[in-house]
Amino acid sequence: MSTETLTATHTHHDEHAHHEHHEPSFIFKYVFSTDHKMISKQFLITGIIMGCLGMLMSLLFRIQLAWPDESFGFLETLLGRWAKDGKIDPNYYMALVTIHGTIMVFYVLTAGLSGTFSNLLIPLQVGARDMASPFMNMLSYWFFFLSSVVLLSSFAVETGPASSGWTVYPPLSALQKAMPGSGLGTTLWLVAIILFIVSALLGGINYIVTVLNMRTKGMSMNRLPLTIWAFLLTACLGLLSFPVLLGAGLFLIFDRSFGTSFYLSDIYLNGIGALTNSGGSPIMYQHLFWFLGHPEVYIILLPALGITSEVIATNARKPIFGYSAMVISLLSIAVLSFIVWGHHMFITGMNPFLGTVFMYVTLIIAVPSAVKTFNYLATLWKGNIRFTPAMLFAIGLVSFFISGGLTGIYLGNAALDVQLHDSYFVVAHFHLVMGSAAIFGMFSGIYHWFPKMFGRMMNNTLGSLHFWLTFASAYMVFFPMHFMGLAGVPRRYYQFSLIPEFGIWMNVNIFITVAAMLGGAAQILFLYNFFRSIFKGKPATENPWESNTIEWSTPVKHLHGNWPGAIPTVYRGPHEYSRPDRELDYFPQHEVGNGEPVHYEGPAEVQKTYATDNKESASKVFFSSFAHLFMLRKA
Amino acid sequence: MNTTTKNIFKLALVAGIIFFAASLISKSVDIHQLNIENYSAEKPLFGTDEYQYEAPKELPANDAVATRVKWSLLFFVIILIMVIANAFDISALTSRLTGKQAINSNNVNKWVMLIFMIVGLSAVAWEYSVHGKHVMLGDSASEHGVQLDSMFSITLILTTIVFVITQILLFYFSFRYSKKDGQKALYYAHNNRLEVFWTLIPAIVLTLLVLRGHQTWRSIVYADVDGTKSTNIEIFAFQFGWNARYAGDDGILGVADYKFISGKNKLGLANPAEVDSLLVELIAALIAEEAAVKALPQTIEQLQKDLQAAKDLQDNEAMSSITKELEEINNGDRMDDLEASINRKTKQIERIEAIKKDPKVFATYFTKAEEDDVITQELHLVKDKLVTFKFRSRDIIHSAWLPHFRVQMNVVPGMPTKFTFIPTKTTKEAKAENGETFDYYLYCNKICGTSHYNMKMKVVIETQEEVDAWLKTQQMAFKAMPTPVAVPAVEILPDSATSTKDTTAKKLALK
Repeated sequence: MSTETLTATHTHHDEHAHHEHHEPSFIFKYVFSTDHKMISKQFLITGIIMGCLGMLMSLLFRIQLAWPDESFGFLETLLGRWAKDGKIDPNYYMALVTIHGTIMVFYVLTAGLSGTFSNLLIPLQVGARDMASPFMNMLSYWFFFLSSVVLLSSFAVETGPASSGWTVYPPLSALQKAMPGSGLGTTLWLVAIILFIVSALLGGINYIVTVLNMRTKGMSMNRLPLTIWAFLLTACLGLLSFPVLLGAGLFLIFDRSFGTSFYLSDIYLNGIGALTNSGGSPIMYQHLFWFLGHPEVYIILLPALGITSEVIATNARKPIFGYSAMVISLLSIAVLSFIVWGHHMFITGMNPFLGTVFMYVTLIIAVPSAVKTFNYLATLWKGNIRFTPAMLFAIGLVSFFISGGLTGIYLGNAALDVQLHDSYFVVAHFHLVMGSAAIFGMFSGIYHWFPKMFGRMMNNTLGSLHFWLTFASAYMVFFPMHFMGLAGVPRRYYQFSLIPEFGIWMNVNIFITVAAMLGGAAQILFLYNFFRSIFKGKPATENPWESNTIEWSTPVKHLHGNWPGAIPTVYRGPHEYSRPDRELDYFPQHEVGNGEPVHYEGPAEVQKTYATDNKESASKVFFSSFAHLFMLRKA
Repeated sequence: MNTTTKNIFKLALVAGIIFFAASLISKSVDIHQLNIENYSAEKPLFGTDEYQYEAPKELPANDAVATRVKWSLLFFVIILIMVIANAFDISALTSRLTGKQAINSNNVNKWVMLIFMIVGLSAVAWEYSVHGKHVMLGDSASEHGVQLDSMFSITLILTTIVFVITQILLFYFSFRYSKKDGQKALYYAHNNRLEVFWTLIPAIVLTLLVLRGHQTWRSIVYADVDGTKSTNIEIFAFQFGWNARYAGDDGILGVADYKFISGKNKLGLANPAEVDSLLVELIAALIAEEAAVKALPQTIEQLQKDLQAAKDLQDNEAMSSITKELEEINNGDRMDDLEASINRKTKQIERIEAIKKDPKVFATYFTKAEEDDVITQELHLVKDKLVTFKFRSRDIIHSAWLPHFRVQMNVVPGMPTKFTFIPTKTTKEAKAENGETFDYYLYCNKICGTSHYNMKMKVVIETQEEVDAWLKTQQMAFKAMPTPVAVPAVEILPDSATSTKDTTAKKLALK
């Protein structure tokens, strides 16, 4: 089958050779492009713009939380009647929180991360000329773009954007009179999300088909870079779960506009009277929403983990530790993510027995996550680490993954969730493990594959500075929030100065806001570095990071069709770094070797030292790492 | 200077500056000096309790503290940026001077890794010692909370150990194994034994945690399965406030339904007299709305006349408001609203009538148990006595959270929920521990609209006698009500569908 694909793409390429003489017009090169590399850039830049907007929104509501009783003139200038006398209106605060969440979860970390890197890397790393369906790929971007425009347009609505939280739980979101944002704003939110789902599905189908059918000769599944594994599983997750959100959204639209009662029952609304809706259940929406919502967390996180795996292996100059364990843990995380959604609903009044079931499966996810963490640590151990900005962000991701992952053990426990549900502890947890970790994965990918995208290098010094400032500020923002949550501070409160018990947290709130501003300022470094390097960066070489994967065998100048000649054949896995039998510390996948086995176990002496039949080896290696740690032994 | 001395010097410089800034912060961030009064300048906009906060009368002394916090933080940030930028500059400069390899940012990053680990872990230790005091708000004030807290402590200890070890390994490995010229990484792709080892260890630990969590969860949710051992209190949530309903002398909470909610009967109790007067109100409103629909053409005429008059008087304000109203009528919004309202009221009347007509259903609703129910704005509970909250929402999803008691449950319209627990610490005891201003509260913890952030109810834990005495001071729901109004016998024809609502309304009105 693969030879058929190969010949098919060959003819495709030959056709291309004729077209290469005349450049496509501006519109088809930059706007309605079907080239996966251009589409990935479109996704990335839209994602960055949306990310900046989301971050600015968070700064606005952080100002409100830090100084609830002060007024800021610039807020009134900026927001007009939504910030009369320089104080943000409670409804607008809710709208900011809602749209911040929506933008970050869907538009930045789903489309911006997965859309960018799946598009860029899948064809390049599996060895294909383009996606299976370039046209669908283009549609995917334009649906995403349209969706972004619709979402942002809700800021121009008189009653304001959707403001019932990014989960838009009915009845609050279903009853147009329940709060101002539940009017036209929520309708636009729902339309935007439906367009987004269409985009995600068009993209996802494409990714799966491309990975499964268009791998180059020799690129068996066990030689796929971990990025591709992650993108493949992400696309599967999206394909299976996004349609459920589509259904939930449609039901909500029916309830809002056509008088159905899917989610509504027994409601008396102030100023309206008893509603006629009867027989529906708001809890049903939550089940449907979280059936997407939980896999969505992994839709966000898996690509980041995949990117990190490649970046860490490349920059530690070591094979990723336990390739098959990494794949299996990705796979089990993906499968488990479909049966744990109920841990968002322990205290909704759901049958307590279900609470038990969901607690069991939720805590099981911690096992593959722990395996991944240990494998990352083992990959760093005795490496030869190059601190490129990409590597720094990858290490940052692992740190966040540990910090945020551990707090998941509290929240996955139904008993503890009784106390911690919807508190600041939850905010801290998901901002670390899903927000910060995934955004660090995205930064890591941007710094690493920037030369591939734009043919130029980004500035490393600015990159490092960007990393350290962002890293420090993210911890300063989210770490204290754990303690606020544990002391009973609820999330989504517009101001804390009305409840005496929360007084002790006022200066912590100020600290968090200042740290968030520092983090925001650090992103200016990134934006400067990114946009300047596109035009004025140092020209890149073909393989600047001395990496093994085959995307680095394409020429620096982009070609429609990726490789000028035949697509390279792959001879080995992606992580053959620092092999003792080679002079160079890397061994590209497409380079012809001298017939070594598929799984190279290292030279005889290495095999002897760490052989699996050596009974002491496991514990010896594990504990010797502690010995190194406390400098008791020399490496 | 050789590299080691240089590095030590750099390290000392950075550490010194960071410690200086940190000491500044820790001096200014002294939480014990701060009082809430200084931050609560506004009265609550909503809320039903009588607890209100007064604006500070004089300039709060702690403003100075807050300002110092702000400035020292800003200072800290600037210093941090400068230090990092300088570190890069120094290394660039020295490398240019010595003619060695251009910037060795690898070495800088390596040292920052180590510094970050040390400073970060110290900050974590500081957080644990300072903010850790507030974790879980002291000892639990409920019985199941003790078990929950011990579950929490176990998890906290375990995760903290894992956190510290793994973070140290991560940063130390990054520091220790950074790139050196001529060094090659160890080719080491996998070790099955090691991987099995670190799969099994977490699996075993998590199994233990799950089993323990399972036990705790069961003890919380199955505290009173058949509902016979505990006293029932209804917690009623609405945008934006709470009510509590006590069963009264008979010990039974009367039936309530959202269809019966009216201005006087806010909780919608099934009281025959109240329901009848609600019917009268609804019918009157229906007639008025029908008339309004009929009179729309005249209304338009009248409005146009008014508009002309306003134009003549050049009264811009009146003009714009009249134009707006006219527009509302002309684009059909007014008609839609009226029709929807008529539809709603007709349905409501039909449904109430259906309940009244069927004697069996009637008997399940109107049990007279509601007559001695007591509806209150505060929640008073008896110490050491099993209590079950029966939650009911009027409009949208709320969530009742009593953090001191480790109690939380969503309040869902159309779906009854409950929570059973035993409070173990009286308000007096809590005040003795936390100061005179302390009070227990029930917060709303599910986003529910504009005033979500101020939707709370005061909770008081007392002895049985104190609660009984307090209940006597509260008004009973219906005992003190005046005699019911005479209600017309309303009957609805079986075929009265929504399409014939005009005639239905008329029929209702005539009878």
